Amino acid sequence: MLPLFRSLFAPPRHLILLLAALWIGLILAEKRATRHGIPREALNNIVYYSLLGYILGGRLLFAVANLSAFTQSPLSLFSLNIDLFDPLGGLVSALLVGFIYGQRQKLALWPTCDALTPIFGVLWIGLSLAHLAAGTAFGSPTTLPWGIVLWNDTRHPTQVYELIASLLAFAAIWFHKSGPPAGSSFLLFTALTAGARLVLEAFRGDSTLVFGGLRLAQVIAWIVLAAVLFSAEWILGRNEEPIK
Amino acid sequence: MQPARRRLLYSIILILGFVWILISADRKGISTTGQIPAPQQGFLAPDFALKTPAGETVKLSDLRGQAVLVNLWATWCPPCRAEMQTIENVYNAYKDRGFTVLAVNMTYQDNPLEIMPFVNGQGLSYPILLDETGDMANAYQLKSLPSSYFIGRDGIIDEVVIGGPMAEALLRTRIEEILK
Repeated sequence: MLPLFRSLFAPPRHLILLLAALWIGLILAEKRATRHGIPREALNNIVYYSLLGYILGGRLLFAVANLSAFTQSPLSLFSLNIDLFDPLGGLVSALLVGFIYGQRQKLALWPTCDALTPIFGVLWIGLSLAHLAAGTAFGSPTTLPWGIVLWNDTRHPTQVYELIASLLAFAAIWFHKSGPPAGSSFLLFTALTAGARLVLEAFRGDSTLVFGGLRLAQVIAWIVLAAVLFSAEWILGRNEEPIK
Repeated sequence: MQPARRRLLYSIILILGFVWILISADRKGISTTGQIPAPQQGFLAPDFALKTPAGETVKLSDLRGQAVLVNLWATWCPPCRAEMQTIENVYNAYKDRGFTVLAVNMTYQDNPLEIMPFVNGQGLSYPILLDETGDMANAYQLKSLPSSYFIGRDGIIDEVVIGGPMAEALLRTRIEEILK
């Protein structure tokens, strides 16, 4: 089953999984958008503009970071190569474009984040499947019976762990009673994502290490988790009536 | 939940998370995959010894100390054909800095009679190798053509690019990286 899946969605076909996830996520988010007081059209627009920002920003920032290569071959700027891309720069651009669009349309921040959360949830599922197909985000060697043979060793199936975590997180946000305070769905999803990364990164075999062995992704996930918990406390505290 | 209890719960979560980071720190270098040969970023490039059309044998591990682009291709593959000239351009631009290209033709699934006419027609000067048995393709777990592996001077794969044709800027950025 796994070899068939990996063969079917071998790179670069694994990107189909991400596109399908974006499409399904958008359909699901549209269904729930009005619950959060966000018009469907505004939700669609914010996603499309952010996607455009992701693609253009990612390519342009990559070009700026590698200016000498592009000055010698300027037409490469229009190449269809997806590797000529800065994913972090793309993400920052997408967030910026989405934020600017939201501001111009006078969309409230937290309800918009809540309305977008199903897209993030399905994208995480798609990303886990893409990792499984491409063999990236692989685990460290293990002798556990559920290890999978990957890159010439038996390894923790970290992509499967991630898939299970993403499915559980999606179920949590989908069945989460989204009422006041606004932002609770988004913060719940972010906390679950950060928590999962904090736990599962320990089984990865490709971690970037800092400070004598600490895994960078765990440190970042812990900071994100702390920020989410502080935000949740601030939002909940603001909405609670003072005890009489 | 009472605010005080909630704050306590959040604090416990963060403390446990911090302890988990310390417990799961990789002090034994489990994440250091550079010792295992596998066709993936961060791993030692699987070694191979293949013949050129002239009969000369080239072994990847003999090129340790040089930055190497291993490009898997076939004459029937249009994106492979399309990127060969670009690879030639960057080969000429960087070969004096310790960069080389091994263009491995998937001879076992290609027409051997078409290989040299194509290479000569394009005026390619970098080494062309022939994988006549498919052993090299198996070692590199070939699934799509072209597949390109950018290998650093230490023999570790720095980047894998599946599909093509690769743009010149992509080649230049990756080569600059492996020449460091």
